Amino acid sequence: MVGVRGISAPYIYVCTRMRVRKAKLIPKEEYQRMLNMGLPEITRIIGETEYKQEIDELGTTFKGIDLIEVALSWNLAKEYQKIQEITPGNLKQFTQAYLRRWDIQNVLTIFRGRMQGSATGKIKEILVPAGSLDTKALDRLLAEDNPERIIEALKGHHMYPVLVREYPYAKESGSFSRMENELFKQFYAEIITGAESGIKGGNLFLDFIRLDIDVKNLKTLFRLRADACEEDAREMYIPGGALSATNFSNLILIRNQGEFIDMLKGLYRQKALLALLDEIREEKTFRDAEIRLTRVQLEQMERMSKRHPISIHPILVYLEKKKYEVFNLRALARGKESKLPSEKIVNYLVM
Amino acid sequence: MAAEAIVAAVDVGMTVEQIAASQLGMKAIGAGIAVGLTGIGSGVAEMGIGSAAVGAVAENKDMFGLALLFTVIPETIVIFGLVVALLLLFV
Repeated sequence: MVGVRGISAPYIYVCTRMRVRKAKLIPKEEYQRMLNMGLPEITRIIGETEYKQEIDELGTTFKGIDLIEVALSWNLAKEYQKIQEITPGNLKQFTQAYLRRWDIQNVLTIFRGRMQGSATGKIKEILVPAGSLDTKALDRLLAEDNPERIIEALKGHHMYPVLVREYPYAKESGSFSRMENELFKQFYAEIITGAESGIKGGNLFLDFIRLDIDVKNLKTLFRLRADACEEDAREMYIPGGALSATNFSNLILIRNQGEFIDMLKGLYRQKALLALLDEIREEKTFRDAEIRLTRVQLEQMERMSKRHPISIHPILVYLEKKKYEVFNLRALARGKESKLPSEKIVNYLVM
Repeated sequence: MAAEAIVAAVDVGMTVEQIAASQLGMKAIGAGIAVGLTGIGSGVAEMGIGSAAVGAVAENKDMFGLALLFTVIPETIVIFGLVVALLLLFV
């Protein structure tokens, strides 16, 4: 059913649902209130919001921080699966493609958990079955003890070739960061190919993905500066965004902070990003710049979704905002559990 | 005006009865167009509002009354069309 100017009723329906869901997310003031509370009070507050069902269901099995962790993961997975169910046509295809990033996260969580010798139950608590690997598939992977067997179990999956190629290096170095980077490179390359194949609405999806890649590259640059990393960082570059490989390599080599910021400012046009770059110019480290960059990214995404109200943008904005709500609540709960002062916890929240 | 129409009709060889019937037919076509086009206009307008309203109600049941109200607002267009049609036919 195609309506006026090619906008169909199901698109309007889904975009409105996403907007209503976004409006129901926990507001900034609520986080400020929660910062002054203890863990039991935070659990109670969370139990009064959209997480009520999960908190009630799991309340008898888990307690304290575990209850919050598991309830948040369950809710996030349920929410993402529901969205995949209600999105129509091309939007479903884009949403599923975008949510495949959770496959990478889940597989790496299992690898890392196994490497550190964590209990299967503990690993399962933090998995979010939102991508193409559902709960059953993840359970099968969790049943394997050996990483080689986990990779074999993924035969036929998108990630399989990269996992086979990168595992020997990860095993040797004991770090999965290169594998993670390669998996994300493959993920973005596949998404870009899919979006450029001429599917209606692909251009808008591509804009969103490009922003995501840019932010990821910027975060890598910030991290490299913060850690003064000397290894060859050019491999960490993810192609597809506005930042070219040459500029990325040049930015790594710049030692002077002012020059670094000036070059970045010449490459981007987004006002919010330029303002952030001006703010961090005088700062000694870029450690908390990542969170601020995420805030800028969300603002930019929000702006894009307002410019294209009936498109893939409102859906993706909601997916991102929901993800950060869960991150925030998790950071809050963990911070309170570790008795961190509120001023410290607030720096980790994306509000 | 009517006299001019009669003169013109006589010129093309029409009787007065034929002219009256033709005028009535034209009015009926005008009334049909008025109701039909405004109906289509209302339908197009309600498509967007209706689907957004169903989406909002699916998420929040309390929105039902307000959503229904917004959905029927474009009905006014078709009422205008109906009024014009009635005026054409009976006044």
